[in-house]
Amino acid sequence: MVELDPILDMDFVGAGGVVVRAREFDSRILAVEPVMGDSAVLTLSLPPGMAGSLRAGQFVDVLCRVEGSYDPLLRRPYSIFRADPRTETMQLLVRPYGRGSAWLASRPAGTILDVLGPLGNTFQVNPRSRNLLMVAGGVGAAPLVMLTDHALADGRNVTYLMGAADADALLPASYLPSDVEYAVATDNGSKGHWGFVTDLVPEYLRWADQVFACGPEAMFRSLRAVASAHRLGGKPRIQVSVERTMACGLGACLGCVVETKHGMQTSCVQGPIYDMDEVVW
Amino acid sequence: MRWSGEGSVGFASRENRSLPSDGETDGRRLMAAPSLAVDLAPGNPRELVLANPVIAASGCFGYGLEYAEVMDVQRLGAFVSKGITPKPRSGNPMPRITETPAGMLNAIGLQNPGIRGFVKKYPKLWEAWKVPAIVNISAESVEEYAMMARILDEQPGVAGIEVNISCPNIAAGGYCFGWDAVMSADVTRAVRAATTLPLIVKLSPGAVDIVSVALAVEEAGADAVSLINTLVGMAIDVRTRRPVLANATGGLSGPAVKPIALRMVYQVAVAVRIPVVGMGGIMGLNDALEFFFAGANAIQVGTAIFAQPGMLIRLIDDLEDWLRREGVGSVREIVGVALPAGLPTRQAATEADVEIDFAAAVAAG
Repeated sequence: MVELDPILDMDFVGAGGVVVRAREFDSRILAVEPVMGDSAVLTLSLPPGMAGSLRAGQFVDVLCRVEGSYDPLLRRPYSIFRADPRTETMQLLVRPYGRGSAWLASRPAGTILDVLGPLGNTFQVNPRSRNLLMVAGGVGAAPLVMLTDHALADGRNVTYLMGAADADALLPASYLPSDVEYAVATDNGSKGHWGFVTDLVPEYLRWADQVFACGPEAMFRSLRAVASAHRLGGKPRIQVSVERTMACGLGACLGCVVETKHGMQTSCVQGPIYDMDEVVW
Repeated sequence: MRWSGEGSVGFASRENRSLPSDGETDGRRLMAAPSLAVDLAPGNPRELVLANPVIAASGCFGYGLEYAEVMDVQRLGAFVSKGITPKPRSGNPMPRITETPAGMLNAIGLQNPGIRGFVKKYPKLWEAWKVPAIVNISAESVEEYAMMARILDEQPGVAGIEVNISCPNIAAGGYCFGWDAVMSADVTRAVRAATTLPLIVKLSPGAVDIVSVALAVEEAGADAVSLINTLVGMAIDVRTRRPVLANATGGLSGPAVKPIALRMVYQVAVAVRIPVVGMGGIMGLNDALEFFFAGANAIQVGTAIFAQPGMLIRLIDDLEDWLRREGVGSVREIVGVALPAGLPTRQAATEADVEIDFAAAVAAG
């Protein structure tokens, strides 16, 4: 029995003190770009004013079923890949991993989606941080692209490391701003370093003021090993975006909790971004 | 005594409760807006009158606050809090949920701050709310249920208690209270003695005979019954060859369980005279109507909220529109219309029955 954090302390306040209100809205698929092999980047319309309030690390919950069907029953969470206040749009990176995402990745432009969001907390960039290191595994590339956009706009330096099964599954460099250093690793050596993306991390740890990571559990495992072998005094700090099966997305069902040093937390509201050292892995 | 609309002698009408008029008696019913109001504790002086029969189910709506930014929570008939236990619980290990065909399995493990942590935070917030807040309680002994009911009795923001009897009874070697009529009645009687708050007992579909459990808790002083709780199920990951949920088994909910829930509501509604709150896979108006026709006086929506929180408010509007289109003056008129002999109140209620029931309720309270 653990004394729980007060649930009222849920943090609905995004970066910069902007209160970001979640809502259920209709969104039109404006464009579909095939990317990373079987995945797709979807460009979606947003209610007026929402794009500018979105922060890197947040996600949206998309209902992935034909109207009139109850299957798949639950929404699917997607990190926001990019947001553009000028065109009032956002982009999602969708990998057809399960039934819901396979349905979504194959929707044609013009489809109207039922979207709930924005949800979750945000990556926190220290105002004094000059150099940011991104560590992406597969479809985990998504929230780090938006963070990269915002970091560059704020005048910071970004190195983006990405790992995937093979060259086809890597995020094309054209999706990243040109002044980002982009280094890649593949499981089969078809491009970049032959091995894990985390093999590339040690040489950047002295340069980076902060590290941000998103990827599969196996990547977090090796990132923790690299961090414990190569970091000094717990620096630089590492923020991770975790993935859990979710139902409500609003902190009500308690299905997606993450055990942290501060007790059980809902990854949909108190997460999905955590300091890696605060999570009980 | 159930509100059945047609000439029944419910307590509410006898005591001139302030339910909106059906407009039926003066022959102008098509002109008036349909009445959605329901009374879930007609025998209880502390009342549980809801503005409409749509209730957010326990475990699917947190403490009401979680949904406040995406919907108008105050428009609901009521909501039922996450299950509260005597002591704080951190819940089960992950994974706790998994999707199944047209349904989901959950094994949250009653993560909650415990009754004392709970009363420090929520009742005073709810006090300012228009929507009635019903608190769901779970325990592993009769004494603990009563202890929680005593604490809740004094809380101003609490409109009623829903007793979750789908818990293991430690004194009975972990056998679930709700599977057994005698143990279910023991819990109900103890809670009834500890509080005068409106009392809903939430029935378990795992009961050997759910009708006998319903009759037993009615006899023991429940103001209403709600059903069904989730059905115990499981899913296995064929890749790992292990159960998907860390707890191995979990509660199945969603559209997949609706036919079972409906059948149980139908059976219980025939037998008991107290109000019945039906739930299990309600996704929209048609599902809700089926439950009303089967004898539910009110309905709860759970899993559907996860997918579409906005559906709760749409459901209230859709129900009102439907009643108007059908020329029905009150939702109370459609309760139990699918039952072959109507509701028991219609066939058997006499003034004498009413007096006896009332005396028993007062004595228990």
